[in-house]
Amino acid sequence: MSKLESGMESMIDMYLFESNTLLEQLDEILLRTEEAQTFTDDDINEIFRIMHTIKGSSAMMGFDDLQLLAHKGEELFFIIREAPGKLEDVSFIYDLVFRMSDLFKAEIELIQNSDEYTATDFSDTLADLDKGAAMLTESEHSAAAAASHPVGDYNTVEQQNAEYLGEGFMTVRIFFQEGCKMENLRSFMLLNKIREEADVKDFNPVDLEGDPNACDAIVENGFTVTFKADDNDEILKLIESAINVEGYEIVHDSSADKQEVSDDAHDDAHDDHDKDAEHAPDTTAKTPHPDSSSALAAPATPTANTNQAAAHLAGKQSIISVNLAKLDQLHDIVGEIITTESMVISNPELEGLKLESFLKSARELKKLTDELQDTVMSIRMVPLAGPFQKMNRIVRDMKMKLGKDAELKIEGESTEVDKTIVDSLNDPLMHLVRNCMDHGIETSVEERIERGKPAKATVTLSAVSSSGEVVITVSDDGKGIDTEKVLRKAESNGLLMKPASEYTEREIQQMILMPGFSTNDVVTEFSGRGVGMDVVRDNIEKCGGTLTVESKHGFGTTFNIKIPLTLAIIQGMEVKVHDTVFAIPISTIRQSFKVQNSEIIKDTQRGEMIMIRGECYPIMRLHEKFAIPSDITDFEDGILLLVETDAKSVCLFADKLIGEQQVVVKPFPAYLSRYNIKAAGLSGCTIMGDGSISLIIDVANLIEAY
Amino acid sequence: MANTGGSLFAQKSTDNSARIEKEEEITKALTFAIGEQVYGIEIPYVVEILGVPKITRVPCMEVPYFIKGIINVRSKVVPVVDVRSCFGKEEVEYNEKTCTIIVAMNDITVGLIVDEVLEVLSVMQKNIATTPDLNNVNENKFIEYILEMNDGIKLILDIKKIIFDHDMMFSLQ
Repeated sequence: MSKLESGMESMIDMYLFESNTLLEQLDEILLRTEEAQTFTDDDINEIFRIMHTIKGSSAMMGFDDLQLLAHKGEELFFIIREAPGKLEDVSFIYDLVFRMSDLFKAEIELIQNSDEYTATDFSDTLADLDKGAAMLTESEHSAAAAASHPVGDYNTVEQQNAEYLGEGFMTVRIFFQEGCKMENLRSFMLLNKIREEADVKDFNPVDLEGDPNACDAIVENGFTVTFKADDNDEILKLIESAINVEGYEIVHDSSADKQEVSDDAHDDAHDDHDKDAEHAPDTTAKTPHPDSSSALAAPATPTANTNQAAAHLAGKQSIISVNLAKLDQLHDIVGEIITTESMVISNPELEGLKLESFLKSARELKKLTDELQDTVMSIRMVPLAGPFQKMNRIVRDMKMKLGKDAELKIEGESTEVDKTIVDSLNDPLMHLVRNCMDHGIETSVEERIERGKPAKATVTLSAVSSSGEVVITVSDDGKGIDTEKVLRKAESNGLLMKPASEYTEREIQQMILMPGFSTNDVVTEFSGRGVGMDVVRDNIEKCGGTLTVESKHGFGTTFNIKIPLTLAIIQGMEVKVHDTVFAIPISTIRQSFKVQNSEIIKDTQRGEMIMIRGECYPIMRLHEKFAIPSDITDFEDGILLLVETDAKSVCLFADKLIGEQQVVVKPFPAYLSRYNIKAAGLSGCTIMGDGSISLIIDVANLIEAY
Repeated sequence: MANTGGSLFAQKSTDNSARIEKEEEITKALTFAIGEQVYGIEIPYVVEILGVPKITRVPCMEVPYFIKGIINVRSKVVPVVDVRSCFGKEEVEYNEKTCTIIVAMNDITVGLIVDEVLEVLSVMQKNIATTPDLNNVNENKFIEYILEMNDGIKLILDIKKIIFDHDMMFSLQ
C-alpha cells in the first residue's frame, strides 16, 4: 500500500508507539530465555500475545506485509505452545525471531520516517519462518505420537486437513449465534446449501447427524468446511447471510496464499489466515490471554481497538504516552503559577498588614506549588533502562558475528534523565558498545588468559547521577588503547599539531575521538570506517554533554559521557551586574571569592590576571564585556567567580552573588535569532521568581569570545 | 497603484477598479501616537496592550539599538522594539502613557513600545488613500496604506515588514 487511509494518520503515532514497546518486550524475553535455553509457558504466551497484538494492529492500519510477518511468528509460537517442553533444539528459533523483530523495527522506522510508505518484500524471511514452523511441526508430531496425543485434537486435524488442500480451496470456520440450539442440524443445512454452489471437500465435525457430541463441538470450535467454488467470495456471502450464523473466519485460503507468498504456496501448509475476523467468538477460549481478543476484533471498529490497546498498555505497565509538547505546555503553566504566586504573596499592597491566616495559607500554597513543580519536572524524566537494555541485543549479535565471548553488565539503569536526552543517547551508546566489542576485546581467548584475565570478556554500562549531571561509562576489559599505534596513525593522517614526543598519554587517547580516525586495519561490518568516534562525540556535545576516554594498555578502555540531567533546567548561580541578572551554570563554577586589589596582576596592556594556587587566570569584567554601566568597578567591592570549561578557565567579575537556583532555560525569541547572541556568550534566558528575566551565560562561548 | 505593496489595498482596489466608494468596513485598526503622528496596526495582529514592563537588555553588540531587550509576558519571553527609535526619532523617557503593544505574526511575537495608544477605528475603503511612491517617502515600505479620517491622517503599518525586515530599519538610521 502506498498511502495511509484517511483517518488513520491520527492513529499512526499510537500504532508506532505500541509496536515499538511490544518489540522491545519481545527482545527482552528472547534474550532472557536464550540465556536460560528454555521457554517457560509464560514466556511463550507472552510472545504469542505480542505477535498477536502486532498482527491485529498492523491489519487495522492496513500494513498487510507486517501483519503477515506477525502472523507467521504467531503461528510459530502457536506450535511451540502446543508442545511445550518437548523442543530439543530451539536455537534456530531465536535467530528466526530476532530476524523477524529486526525486520519489524526497520519497517516501523520506515513507516515513521516516510510519508509515502511502500511495503517491503519479506518473502525470504517468511519462507524461513515457514520452514521453521514445518520443522517444529515435525518434532511436535513425533512428540505427540510418542505421548499418544488424543486423536482428533482439533488443531492437528485442521492442519492435516490443510495439508492436502489443492489450489483454490478455502477452509472456513463458521460460528453460530450463542444459544441458537441444534447447531449440528444448522450446520448440515448450511453444508447442503454450500454443496449446491461449490465443491465441498471436507468438513468437521464429520458426523453431523449421528454424533451426540457434534453440537458441543460446533459450539466450542465452530463448524469447519473446506470448499472450492468458481467464486469463493460468493460462498462467503452465502455463509454470512445464513440464518443464525454469527460470523466466520477463513482458516485457510490457498488462493490468497498464492498471492502473498508466491514461491511458497505449497509450503505453508497450515495457514489459518484470519484476514476477515469480523467476529470470532471463541478466540478468547482458544488463546488464554484475554488481550489477544482485542487485536482480533480489529477491522470492524478501529477506534475501539486502539482504546483497548491503550487500555491494555495502561493496565500492563500503568504508563500512558503523552505528547512532549503538552508536557512543555504544562511546564510553562506551572512556571506561570509560581511567578503569579510570588506576585500575590509578596504584593507590595500587603506591606505592613497583619495577616496571620493569610500567611499560613500562603505557606501552604507555596508548599503545594513546589511539589507541583517537582512533579512536573519529574514527568519528563525517564530512566536510562531503555537505551541500556537495547545494548544487550547488540552485544548478543556481535558476540555471534565476531565469535568473542562477552557479557554485558548494566549498572544504575534506573538513573533518570530528560526524555530528549535519552533519545539522543541511543546512537552514541550503540556506537561505543560496538566499539568495545569490536576493537576493545581481544580476538583470541589465549591473549586474555595470558594477561590473567577471565576468558569471558565484560563490557560494562553504568550510570551515576551527581550534582546536575549524569555520568555514563561504557567500559571493557579488553586490550586497551595502544598509544603508539594511535600516535603513528595520527602522524600518517596528519592530525598531529606538535612534535609526537610532546603528547601526553591522555592527549593521545583523546585522539581517537578526532574526525577521520580509525586504528582498525580491517573495516568490519560494525565499526572501523573512521566515521565513528567523532560522530559520537558530536552527538553527545549536541545535547550538552562531553565525551572523554581513559585507557590502560592491556587492561581495557573506558568511555565517560557526562550529560546534563535535563536540557530545560539547570542549576544556576545568579549574579548581579548593575541591574542585569546573569545565571551561570553551577557545573562550570569552580569557586567564588573576594580579592584585594594588591592580588591583581596587570599586564602591559589593560589585561588583568589573578594567581590562584600557583595558576594564573585572566579576569573578565562582566560589566565591560556586556557594556553595562555599573558603579562597581573596584575588585574589592565585587566578587570573582572562577569558571572552567573544557580545561579553559577564566575569572568573572560581578557586582554580587544573589544565590543558587534551579533555572528553566528558555531560548531567546525567534525574532532575535538573526543576531549572533550565542557567540556573545549568552545561551538563553530564564524567568526568575519575581517575573523578571535573567540571562544565562554560556561559559564556553564567553571564553571563546574573550 | 502598484506602489502600495499593501495586499489588502491592492486586492480591494482591483476588485473595484473604478474605486467606487464603499461604506463597508474592511477591517479595524488600533491607532497609536509617536509624537504628533498617528499610526495604526490592523487589529488581527494585535495580541494585547501592556504598560512598560521591566525590560531586560540583551547585551550583544549585534542587536540593534531600537530592540530594547526582552520582557516576560506570562512566561513567554518577548522581544520589544521601541517604535519611536526604530522610526529614527529621538528617544524619550517612558511615562505612564507609554504602552507596549504585543503583536504576533506567524509564531513570532514582538512588543512595540509606543508613546500612547489612542483608539480602535474602522477601516473603510473610502478612507484609504494611495501611498505616494516617491524617493525618500515611505522608502522602506513600512506603511501599508494611508487612512484619511476626519480627524487627520493615520498611517497603517505593515507588520510583516516590521517583524521581518530589520535591514529596512537600518537604512532609516
